[in-house]
Amino acid sequence: MIAVAVDEDVEAIRGAAHGITYPILIDADHVVAELYAISNVPTVLMIDEDDNIVQPNWSAYASDTFRELTGIDSEIQKDHIRAWAKDGTLRMPPEDAKGAVSDLSPEEEQARLFFRIATRLRNNGDADGAERNFVTAIDLAPYDWTVQRAAQPLRGINPFGEAFMELYTAFNEAGRPFHGVTGH
Amino acid sequence: MHDYGEEMANNDIVMLEGGPLIDVAALEDAVGWTLKPEGLCKDDSCVIVHDRAALMSGDRVDVTAVASLIDRPAAHDATSGLVAIGAPRELRRAAVNDMQAPDFTLPDLDGLPMNFSDHRSKKRLLVAFSSW
Repeated sequence: MIAVAVDEDVEAIRGAAHGITYPILIDADHVVAELYAISNVPTVLMIDEDDNIVQPNWSAYASDTFRELTGIDSEIQKDHIRAWAKDGTLRMPPEDAKGAVSDLSPEEEQARLFFRIATRLRNNGDADGAERNFVTAIDLAPYDWTVQRAAQPLRGINPFGEAFMELYTAFNEAGRPFHGVTGH
Repeated sequence: MHDYGEEMANNDIVMLEGGPLIDVAALEDAVGWTLKPEGLCKDDSCVIVHDRAALMSGDRVDVTAVASLIDRPAAHDATSGLVAIGAPRELRRAAVNDMQAPDFTLPDLDGLPMNFSDHRSKKRLLVAFSSW
């Protein structure tokens, strides 16, 4: 297992990582979100010994914390992962897995780059420049959680407060766009 | 605040200061391609440049136009002069169309770089998560 934090808050991740022995990597620039067309977290992939993606971007949970919102029983999802680890049983037939994740749109691609510029400016102490580029990124990809939600703590917005509910409502009204598959 | 983004060199993404016009000689350092008489070249392959004038401004080259020719996305914030160039699109297409996992290099919690490919020949569960 390799965990990638789509996050630049290393201390928050370190706090959650206590006792964990698998690698935890910090992806402050959202490189993996660009390379794998990841638009929300958690997104889980199963990748075999030969670099084949046998389970593409999957909204899968380690616990039932969000079960009321998602209707997902995390134990069923973890059973799929255990079965694959044990004997290679696939959750999705290869013909369904192929093409299950749509490529990023040009706007979503651009949004990732402006997000990256914004975080760089923020780290350089240019708060106005950061905000300008965060807003550009969000306008380009308003329902991409790796853009708008990830930007919230960096813009001084509580990601678990009112802004979250506004985004969640807009996301639902937009048909819950997600680059990947959901469900058990 | 740790700023791994500054410290880490990642071959797939580029961040440049000072706007999109750079010296031709700096192009290889920036994106790994060089401008030659036969076109934009990297290793043994070249991309034909049909309109070299559109790529140049005086003796400098527009790195966002180069990015377009080598199929990488680019964004430019004119106010700050920062230019971001994304990963080659073929890497993500390999993932979403051909189910081939692109390699990447990221720092762990101690700042030490790890390649995804270090774990090749094992089954890997890749989990993207966050604190937000």
